Amino acid sequence: MLGTHMLATFYLALIGLALGLIIGIIVAILIHVVPYLREAFAPLLVLSQNVPLIALGPLLMIWFGFGWTPKLILLVLVCFFPIALSILMGLGQAEPQLREYLGMIGASRWERLKRLEFPASLTYLFSGLRIAATYVVSSAIVAEWLGANKGIGFYLKLKFNGFDQPGVFGSIVCVVTLSFLFYYAVVIAERLIIRWRPRSEGDWKGASS
Amino acid sequence: MRSVGSKLELIGINKAYRRGKEQVPVLNNIHLQVHAGEFVTLIGPSGSGKSTLFRLIGGVERPDQGRILVDGNDVTGQRGLISYMPQQAALFPWLSVEDNISSALVTTGTTKVEAKQQAANWLERIHLGGVAKEYPHVLSGGMQMRVSFLRALLMRRNVMCLDEPFAALDALTRADMQRWLLDLWEADRRSVLFVTHSIEEALMLSDRIYVLSSAPATILREIVVPFERPRRADVWKDPAFVQLRLEVLGLLGSK
Repeated sequence: MLGTHMLATFYLALIGLALGLIIGIIVAILIHVVPYLREAFAPLLVLSQNVPLIALGPLLMIWFGFGWTPKLILLVLVCFFPIALSILMGLGQAEPQLREYLGMIGASRWERLKRLEFPASLTYLFSGLRIAATYVVSSAIVAEWLGANKGIGFYLKLKFNGFDQPGVFGSIVCVVTLSFLFYYAVVIAERLIIRWRPRSEGDWKGASS
Repeated sequence: MRSVGSKLELIGINKAYRRGKEQVPVLNNIHLQVHAGEFVTLIGPSGSGKSTLFRLIGGVERPDQGRILVDGNDVTGQRGLISYMPQQAALFPWLSVEDNISSALVTTGTTKVEAKQQAANWLERIHLGGVAKEYPHVLSGGMQMRVSFLRALLMRRNVMCLDEPFAALDALTRADMQRWLLDLWEADRRSVLFVTHSIEEALMLSDRIYVLSSAPATILREIVVPFERPRRADVWKDPAFVQLRLEVLGLLGSK
Protein backbone atom coordinates (compact mmCIF):
# COMPACT_ATOMS: atom_id res chain seq x y z
CA MET A 1 0.00 0.00 0.00
CA LEU A 2 2.61 2.54 1.15
CA GLY A 3 5.04 0.88 -1.27
CA THR A 4 2.97 1.78 -4.37
CA HIS A 5 2.67 5.39 -3.14
CA MET A 6 6.40 5.55 -2.57
CA LEU A 7 7.05 4.18 -6.06
CA ALA A 8 4.69 6.75 -7.61
CA THR A 9 6.51 9.59 -5.85
CA PHE A 10 9.86 8.10 -6.83
CA TYR A 11 8.97 8.07 -10.52
CA LEU A 12 7.49 11.56 -10.40
CA ALA A 13 10.62 12.96 -8.73
CA LEU A 14 12.96 11.04 -11.04
CA ILE A 15 11.31 12.23 -14.23
CA GLY A 16 11.01 15.77 -12.85
CA LEU A 17 14.71 15.82 -12.00
CA ALA A 18 15.71 14.38 -15.38
CA LEU A 19 13.62 16.92 -17.28
CA GLY A 20 14.93 19.69 -15.05
CA LEU A 21 18.49 18.59 -15.80
CA ILE A 22 17.94 18.54 -19.56
CA ILE A 23 16.15 21.89 -19.59
CA GLY A 24 18.74 23.36 -17.21
CA ILE A 25 21.58 22.35 -19.54
CA ILE A 26 19.80 23.72 -22.61
CA VAL A 27 18.91 27.04 -20.96
CA ALA A 28 22.45 27.50 -19.60
CA ILE A 29 24.12 26.78 -22.94
CA LEU A 30 21.74 29.08 -24.82
CA ILE A 31 22.34 31.93 -22.41
CA HIS A 32 26.09 31.31 -22.52
CA VAL A 33 26.34 31.23 -26.31
CA VAL A 34 24.02 34.19 -26.89
CA PRO A 35 25.05 36.60 -24.13
CA TYR A 36 22.26 39.09 -24.71
CA LEU A 37 19.74 36.38 -23.83
CA ARG A 38 21.17 36.61 -20.33
CA GLU A 39 19.83 40.12 -19.85
CA ALA A 40 16.54 39.21 -21.51
CA PHE A 41 15.95 36.08 -19.46
CA ALA A 42 17.54 36.85 -16.09
CA PRO A 43 14.46 38.60 -14.58
CA LEU A 44 12.21 35.83 -15.91
CA LEU A 45 14.39 33.13 -14.40
CA VAL A 46 14.40 34.80 -11.01
CA LEU A 47 10.66 35.34 -11.26
CA SER A 48 10.15 31.62 -11.88
CA GLN A 49 11.71 31.02 -8.47
CA ASN A 50 9.80 33.74 -6.67
CA VAL A 51 6.24 32.51 -7.11
CA PRO A 52 5.47 30.01 -4.31
CA LEU A 53 4.67 26.45 -5.35
CA ILE A 54 1.41 26.44 -3.43
CA ALA A 55 0.26 29.44 -5.47
CA LEU A 56 1.49 28.15 -8.81
CA GLY A 57 0.36 24.55 -8.27
CA PRO A 58 -3.40 25.16 -8.21
CA LEU A 59 -3.15 27.37 -11.31
CA LEU A 60 -1.31 24.65 -13.21
CA MET A 61 -3.95 22.14 -12.06
CA ILE A 62 -6.68 24.36 -13.47
CA TRP A 63 -4.85 24.69 -16.77
CA PHE A 64 -3.52 21.15 -17.24
CA GLY A 65 -5.78 18.93 -15.14
CA PHE A 66 -4.76 16.46 -12.43
CA GLY A 67 -2.42 14.26 -14.46
CA TRP A 68 1.38 14.30 -14.67
CA THR A 69 1.74 17.48 -16.69
CA PRO A 70 1.16 20.13 -13.97
CA LYS A 71 3.27 18.19 -11.45
CA LEU A 72 6.17 17.82 -13.86
CA ILE A 73 6.03 21.51 -14.77
CA LEU A 74 6.23 22.31 -11.08
CA LEU A 75 9.19 20.00 -10.53
CA VAL A 76 11.05 21.25 -13.59
CA LEU A 77 10.60 24.82 -12.35
CA VAL A 78 12.15 23.83 -9.03
CA CYS A 79 14.98 21.72 -10.47
CA PHE A 80 16.25 23.55 -13.51
CA PHE A 81 17.18 26.76 -11.72
CA PRO A 82 20.07 25.61 -9.50
CA ILE A 83 21.30 23.37 -12.33
CA ALA A 84 21.22 26.07 -15.01
CA LEU A 85 22.80 28.63 -12.69
CA SER A 86 25.73 26.40 -11.74
CA ILE A 87 26.40 25.22 -15.32
CA LEU A 88 26.31 28.81 -16.49
CA MET A 89 28.97 29.65 -13.95
CA GLY A 90 31.04 26.63 -14.99
CA LEU A 91 30.86 27.46 -18.70
CA GLY A 92 32.54 30.79 -18.02
CA GLN A 93 35.24 29.26 -15.81
CA ALA A 94 37.10 27.24 -18.45
CA GLU A 95 40.87 27.67 -18.25
CA PRO A 96 42.14 30.61 -20.33
CA GLN A 97 45.19 28.67 -21.57
CA LEU A 98 42.97 25.97 -23.02
CA ARG A 99 40.75 28.64 -24.55
CA GLU A 100 43.82 30.25 -26.13
CA TYR A 101 45.06 26.89 -27.41
CA LEU A 102 41.76 26.13 -29.12
CA GLY A 103 41.70 29.64 -30.62
CA MET A 104 45.19 29.24 -32.04
CA ILE A 105 44.48 25.92 -33.73
CA GLY A 106 41.33 27.43 -35.24
CA ALA A 107 38.60 25.60 -33.33
CA SER A 108 35.03 26.72 -34.07
CA ARG A 109 32.62 28.10 -31.48
CA TRP A 110 30.85 24.74 -31.38
CA GLU A 111 34.13 22.87 -30.86
CA ARG A 112 35.07 25.23 -28.07
CA LEU A 113 31.76 24.49 -26.37
CA LYS A 114 32.00 20.76 -26.90
CA ARG A 115 35.69 20.20 -26.17
CA LEU A 116 36.31 22.79 -23.48
CA GLU A 117 33.45 24.69 -21.93
CA PHE A 118 30.97 21.88 -21.40
CA PRO A 119 33.42 19.38 -19.89
CA ALA A 120 34.85 22.16 -17.72
CA SER A 121 31.36 22.92 -16.40
CA LEU A 122 30.60 19.33 -15.38
CA THR A 123 31.88 19.71 -11.82
CA TYR A 124 29.66 22.77 -11.46
CA LEU A 125 26.73 20.89 -12.99
CA PHE A 126 26.98 18.29 -10.27
CA SER A 127 26.95 20.80 -7.46
CA GLY A 128 23.73 22.23 -8.93
CA LEU A 129 22.32 18.76 -9.40
CA ARG A 130 22.96 17.95 -5.73
CA ILE A 131 20.87 20.94 -4.68
CA ALA A 132 18.10 20.02 -7.12
CA ALA A 133 18.14 16.39 -5.95
CA THR A 134 17.68 17.53 -2.36
CA TYR A 135 14.63 19.62 -3.21
CA VAL A 136 12.97 17.41 -5.78
CA VAL A 137 11.32 14.92 -3.42
CA SER A 138 9.76 17.47 -1.09
CA SER A 139 8.56 19.43 -4.13
CA ALA A 140 6.98 16.26 -5.50
CA ILE A 141 5.19 15.85 -2.15
CA VAL A 142 3.80 19.40 -2.43
CA ALA A 143 2.64 18.73 -5.99
CA GLU A 144 0.90 15.54 -4.93
CA TRP A 145 -0.60 17.23 -1.89
CA LEU A 146 -2.24 19.77 -4.17
CA GLY A 147 -4.03 17.17 -6.23
CA ALA A 148 -3.29 13.53 -6.94
CA ASN A 149 -4.70 10.07 -6.49
CA LYS A 150 -1.44 8.36 -5.57
CA GLY A 151 1.99 9.16 -4.13
CA ILE A 152 3.33 9.96 -0.69
CA GLY A 153 1.88 13.48 -0.83
CA PHE A 154 -1.57 12.05 -1.44
CA TYR A 155 -1.09 9.46 1.33
CA LEU A 156 0.12 12.17 3.70
CA LYS A 157 -2.96 14.26 3.07
CA LEU A 158 -5.18 11.24 3.65
CA LYS A 159 -3.52 10.40 6.96
CA PHE A 160 -3.44 14.06 8.02
CA ASN A 161 -7.17 14.38 7.40
CA GLY A 162 -7.74 11.34 9.58
CA PHE A 163 -5.45 12.66 12.36
CA ASP A 164 -3.44 9.48 11.96
CA GLN A 165 -0.11 10.41 13.58
CA PRO A 166 1.75 7.14 12.90
CA GLY A 167 0.64 7.43 9.26
CA VAL A 168 2.05 10.97 9.00
CA PHE A 169 5.33 9.90 10.57
CA GLY A 170 5.43 6.94 8.26
CA SER A 171 5.23 9.20 5.23
CA ILE A 172 7.93 11.48 6.66
CA VAL A 173 10.22 8.48 6.92
CA CYS A 174 9.45 7.65 3.28
CA VAL A 175 10.20 11.20 2.16
CA VAL A 176 13.52 11.25 3.99
CA THR A 177 14.47 7.87 2.56
CA LEU A 178 13.70 8.97 -0.99
CA SER A 179 15.60 12.24 -0.53
CA PHE A 180 18.68 10.38 0.67
CA LEU A 181 18.35 8.00 -2.24
CA PHE A 182 18.34 10.83 -4.78
CA TYR A 183 21.14 12.76 -3.16
CA TYR A 184 23.50 9.81 -2.93
CA ALA A 185 22.63 8.65 -6.44
CA VAL A 186 23.92 12.03 -7.64
CA VAL A 187 27.04 11.77 -5.48
CA ILE A 188 27.81 8.33 -6.90
CA ALA A 189 27.15 9.47 -10.48
CA GLU A 190 29.55 12.36 -9.89
CA ARG A 191 32.28 10.01 -8.70
CA LEU A 192 31.76 7.78 -11.71
CA ILE A 193 31.77 10.57 -14.28
CA ILE A 194 34.35 13.00 -12.91
CA ARG A 195 37.37 10.79 -12.61
CA TRP A 196 40.07 13.12 -13.88
CA ARG A 197 40.61 15.08 -10.70
CA PRO A 198 43.50 14.04 -8.49
CA ARG A 199 42.24 11.69 -5.78
CA SER A 200 44.04 13.40 -2.91
CA GLU A 201 46.13 16.48 -2.19
CA GLY A 202 49.18 14.22 -1.88
CA ASP A 203 49.22 13.52 -5.61
CA TRP A 204 52.25 14.96 -7.37
CA LYS A 205 51.34 17.36 -10.13
CA GLY A 206 54.65 17.78 -11.90
CA ALA A 207 56.58 20.99 -12.39
CA SER A 208 54.49 22.53 -15.12
CA SER A 209 52.26 24.62 -12.90
CA MET B 1 60.22 11.31 -44.23
CA ARG B 2 59.82 14.18 -46.68
CA SER B 3 59.32 17.68 -45.42
CA VAL B 4 55.61 18.49 -45.00
CA GLY B 5 56.23 22.12 -44.10
CA SER B 6 55.11 25.26 -45.87
CA LYS B 7 56.72 28.61 -46.34
CA LEU B 8 55.48 31.28 -43.97
CA GLU B 9 56.07 34.96 -44.66
CA LEU B 10 55.22 38.02 -42.61
CA ILE B 11 55.37 41.25 -44.58
CA GLY B 12 55.46 44.64 -42.91
CA ILE B 13 53.41 43.70 -39.86
CA ASN B 14 52.31 46.56 -37.58
CA LYS B 15 50.10 46.14 -34.56
CA ALA B 16 49.10 48.52 -31.79
CA TYR B 17 46.79 48.10 -28.83
CA ARG B 18 44.57 50.77 -27.42
CA ARG B 19 45.30 51.53 -23.79
CA GLY B 20 42.88 54.14 -22.59
CA LYS B 21 43.15 56.97 -25.11
CA GLU B 22 46.62 56.05 -26.28
CA GLN B 23 47.65 53.71 -29.06
CA VAL B 24 50.50 51.57 -27.77
CA PRO B 25 52.52 50.10 -30.64
CA VAL B 26 53.52 46.48 -30.04
CA LEU B 27 54.92 45.34 -33.38
CA ASN B 28 56.71 47.71 -35.69
CA ASN B 29 57.26 46.75 -39.32
CA ILE B 30 58.06 43.08 -38.82
CA HIS B 31 59.37 41.21 -41.87
CA LEU B 32 60.24 37.57 -41.48
CA GLN B 33 60.18 34.26 -43.33
CA VAL B 34 60.17 30.63 -42.35
CA HIS B 35 61.12 28.53 -45.37
CA ALA B 36 59.61 25.10 -45.91
CA GLY B 37 61.18 22.69 -43.44
CA GLU B 38 63.10 25.37 -41.60
CA PHE B 39 63.43 25.83 -37.84
CA VAL B 40 63.29 29.56 -37.07
CA THR B 41 63.53 31.08 -33.61
CA LEU B 42 62.37 34.44 -32.32
CA ILE B 43 64.28 35.70 -29.35
CA GLY B 44 63.68 38.90 -27.47
CA PRO B 45 63.10 40.43 -24.07
CA SER B 46 59.83 39.59 -22.33
CA GLY B 47 56.92 41.77 -23.32
CA SER B 48 58.38 42.28 -26.79
CA GLY B 49 55.20 41.18 -28.52
CA LYS B 50 56.17 37.64 -29.47
CA SER B 51 52.89 36.23 -28.27
CA THR B 52 51.03 38.92 -30.20
CA LEU B 53 52.93 37.87 -33.29
CA PHE B 54 51.73 34.31 -32.73
CA ARG B 55 48.16 35.44 -32.26
CA LEU B 56 48.38 37.20 -35.63
CA ILE B 57 49.79 34.12 -37.33
CA GLY B 58 47.11 31.97 -35.68
CA GLY B 59 44.46 34.35 -37.02
CA VAL B 60 43.07 35.09 -33.56
CA GLU B 61 43.81 38.77 -34.23
CA ARG B 62 44.45 40.82 -37.36
CA PRO B 63 47.45 43.06 -37.94
CA ASP B 64 46.82 46.80 -38.37
CA GLN B 65 49.06 46.73 -41.43
CA GLY B 66 50.90 44.04 -43.28
CA ARG B 67 50.20 40.63 -44.71
CA ILE B 68 50.75 37.02 -43.71
CA LEU B 69 51.45 34.55 -46.50
CA VAL B 70 51.58 30.77 -46.46
CA ASP B 71 53.12 29.30 -49.61
CA GLY B 72 52.55 32.65 -51.29
CA ASN B 73 48.80 32.85 -50.51
CA ASP B 74 47.51 35.71 -48.42
CA VAL B 75 46.08 34.15 -45.24
CA THR B 76 45.94 37.27 -43.06
CA GLY B 77 43.31 36.76 -40.36
CA GLN B 78 42.61 33.21 -41.46
CA ARG B 79 42.45 30.55 -38.75
CA GLY B 80 43.19 26.85 -38.63
CA LEU B 81 46.45 26.88 -40.58
CA ILE B 82 48.98 26.28 -37.83
CA SER B 83 49.52 23.79 -35.07
CA TYR B 84 50.41 25.26 -31.74
CA MET B 85 52.28 24.33 -28.60
CA PRO B 86 51.71 26.81 -25.78
CA GLN B 87 53.91 27.71 -22.86
CA GLN B 88 51.98 25.53 -20.43
CA ALA B 89 51.27 22.06 -21.75
CA ALA B 90 47.54 22.99 -21.93
CA LEU B 91 46.30 19.40 -21.98
CA PHE B 92 42.62 18.82 -21.36
CA PRO B 93 42.41 17.41 -17.81
CA TRP B 94 39.31 15.31 -18.53
CA LEU B 95 40.85 13.48 -21.49
CA SER B 96 43.35 10.66 -21.23
CA VAL B 97 46.81 11.34 -22.66
CA GLU B 98 45.89 9.36 -25.76
CA ASP B 99 42.56 11.16 -26.24
CA ASN B 100 44.27 14.53 -25.84
CA ILE B 101 46.29 13.72 -28.93
CA SER B 102 43.63 11.92 -30.93
CA SER B 103 41.01 14.65 -30.41
CA ALA B 104 43.45 17.19 -31.88
CA LEU B 105 43.93 14.95 -34.90
CA VAL B 106 40.16 14.68 -35.36
CA THR B 107 40.09 18.49 -35.62
CA THR B 108 42.29 18.27 -38.73
CA GLY B 109 40.06 15.72 -40.38
CA THR B 110 41.53 12.37 -39.35
CA THR B 111 38.88 9.76 -38.61
CA LYS B 112 38.38 8.84 -34.95
CA VAL B 113 39.61 5.27 -35.30
CA GLU B 114 42.70 6.27 -37.22
CA ALA B 115 43.46 9.12 -34.83
CA LYS B 116 43.34 6.74 -31.85
CA GLN B 117 45.59 4.29 -33.62
CA GLN B 118 48.09 6.98 -34.57
CA ALA B 119 48.14 8.46 -31.07
CA ALA B 120 48.71 5.06 -29.50
CA ASN B 121 51.52 4.20 -31.92
CA TRP B 122 53.33 7.48 -31.41
CA LEU B 123 53.02 7.37 -27.63
CA GLU B 124 54.55 3.91 -27.76
CA ARG B 125 57.32 5.27 -29.96
CA ILE B 126 58.25 8.05 -27.53
CA HIS B 127 58.09 5.63 -24.59
CA LEU B 128 54.88 7.02 -23.14
CA GLY B 129 52.78 4.00 -24.08
CA GLY B 130 52.48 3.08 -20.42
CA VAL B 131 50.61 6.27 -19.52
CA ALA B 132 48.44 6.50 -22.66
CA LYS B 133 45.28 5.76 -20.69
CA GLU B 134 46.14 7.99 -17.72
CA TYR B 135 44.84 11.48 -17.10
CA PRO B 136 47.44 14.24 -17.65
CA HIS B 137 47.70 15.25 -14.00
CA VAL B 138 49.63 12.10 -13.11
CA LEU B 139 52.42 13.00 -15.57
CA SER B 140 55.52 15.01 -14.68
CA GLY B 141 56.01 18.45 -16.27
CA GLY B 142 58.47 17.07 -18.82
CA MET B 143 56.14 14.25 -19.83
CA GLN B 144 53.25 16.69 -20.22
CA MET B 145 55.38 18.81 -22.56
CA ARG B 146 56.22 15.73 -24.64
CA VAL B 147 52.55 14.95 -25.02
CA SER B 148 51.84 18.58 -25.90
CA PHE B 149 54.61 18.59 -28.52
CA LEU B 150 53.41 15.33 -30.01
CA ARG B 151 49.92 16.77 -30.24
CA ALA B 152 51.28 19.74 -32.22
CA LEU B 153 53.52 17.55 -34.39
CA LEU B 154 50.82 15.09 -35.39
CA MET B 155 48.33 17.76 -36.41
CA ARG B 156 49.19 17.94 -40.09
CA ARG B 157 49.32 21.70 -40.37
CA ASN B 158 51.58 23.83 -42.54
CA VAL B 159 53.50 25.51 -39.77
CA MET B 160 54.20 24.62 -36.14
CA CYS B 161 54.28 27.51 -33.69
CA LEU B 162 55.96 26.76 -30.39
CA ASP B 163 55.57 29.50 -27.78
CA GLU B 164 58.30 29.16 -25.13
CA PRO B 165 57.40 25.53 -24.64
CA PHE B 166 60.15 24.73 -22.14
CA ALA B 167 60.09 27.90 -20.06
CA ALA B 168 58.45 26.20 -17.08
CA LEU B 169 60.84 23.23 -16.94
CA ASP B 170 63.93 22.83 -14.79
CA ALA B 171 67.31 23.07 -16.53
CA LEU B 172 68.00 19.32 -16.67
CA THR B 173 64.60 18.41 -18.06
CA ARG B 174 64.91 21.29 -20.47
CA ALA B 175 68.18 20.10 -21.97
CA ASP B 176 66.65 16.65 -22.28
CA MET B 177 63.58 18.03 -24.01
CA GLN B 178 65.63 20.05 -26.51
CA ARG B 179 67.51 16.93 -27.56
CA TRP B 180 64.29 14.95 -27.78
CA LEU B 181 62.51 17.62 -29.81
CA LEU B 182 65.42 17.91 -32.23
CA ASP B 183 65.47 14.16 -32.84
CA LEU B 184 61.76 14.10 -33.62
CA TRP B 185 61.86 17.24 -35.73
CA GLU B 186 64.92 16.24 -37.76
CA ALA B 187 63.14 13.04 -38.77
CA ASP B 188 60.21 14.99 -40.19
CA ARG B 189 61.36 18.56 -41.00
CA ARG B 190 58.24 20.60 -40.47
CA SER B 191 58.39 24.40 -40.71
CA VAL B 192 58.76 25.62 -37.15
CA LEU B 193 58.49 29.06 -35.61
CA PHE B 194 59.85 28.87 -32.10
CA VAL B 195 59.87 31.49 -29.37
CA THR B 196 62.30 31.43 -26.47
CA HIS B 197 64.13 33.59 -23.94
CA SER B 198 67.14 31.33 -23.89
CA ILE B 199 69.98 32.15 -26.28
CA GLU B 200 71.52 28.68 -25.87
CA GLU B 201 68.21 27.07 -26.70
CA ALA B 202 67.85 29.22 -29.82
CA LEU B 203 71.37 28.38 -31.03
CA MET B 204 70.97 24.72 -30.18
CA LEU B 205 67.76 24.22 -32.11
CA SER B 206 67.39 26.63 -35.00
CA ASP B 207 68.52 27.25 -38.55
CA ARG B 208 67.97 30.98 -38.25
CA ILE B 209 67.31 33.37 -35.40
CA TYR B 210 65.51 36.69 -35.44
CA VAL B 211 66.49 38.93 -32.55
CA LEU B 212 63.66 41.23 -31.50
CA SER B 213 63.95 44.51 -29.63
CA SER B 214 61.82 45.39 -26.64
CA ALA B 215 58.39 46.91 -27.33
CA PRO B 216 57.53 48.13 -29.88
CA ALA B 217 59.27 45.13 -31.36
CA THR B 218 61.39 45.46 -34.46
CA ILE B 219 63.79 42.91 -35.84
CA LEU B 220 67.28 43.89 -34.71
CA ARG B 221 69.15 41.22 -36.59
CA GLU B 222 68.76 37.99 -38.48
CA ILE B 223 71.35 35.38 -37.58
CA VAL B 224 72.04 32.28 -39.64
CA VAL B 225 73.11 29.43 -37.36
CA PRO B 226 75.96 27.64 -39.15
CA PHE B 227 76.02 24.26 -37.36
CA GLU B 228 75.28 21.13 -39.39
CA ARG B 229 72.33 18.79 -38.93
CA PRO B 230 71.71 16.45 -37.30
CA ARG B 231 73.04 18.76 -34.65
CA ARG B 232 75.66 17.40 -32.26
CA ALA B 233 74.79 17.35 -28.56
CA ASP B 234 78.05 19.16 -27.69
CA VAL B 235 77.63 21.94 -30.23
CA TRP B 236 77.79 24.43 -27.33
CA LYS B 237 81.51 23.73 -27.04
CA ASP B 238 82.07 25.10 -30.56
CA PRO B 239 83.89 28.47 -30.51
CA ALA B 240 81.41 29.78 -33.11
CA PHE B 241 78.59 28.94 -30.69
CA VAL B 242 80.23 30.99 -27.94
CA GLN B 243 80.82 33.84 -30.40
CA LEU B 244 77.17 33.89 -31.57
CA ARG B 245 75.94 33.66 -28.00
CA LEU B 246 77.92 36.78 -27.09
CA GLU B 247 76.65 38.55 -30.19
CA VAL B 248 72.99 37.90 -29.33
CA LEU B 249 73.61 38.77 -25.70
CA GLY B 250 75.09 42.07 -26.83
CA LEU B 251 72.08 42.82 -29.01
CA LEU B 252 69.60 42.03 -26.24
CA GLY B 253 71.59 43.95 -23.68
CA SER B 254 72.08 47.05 -25.81
CA LYS B 255 68.46 48.17 -25.59
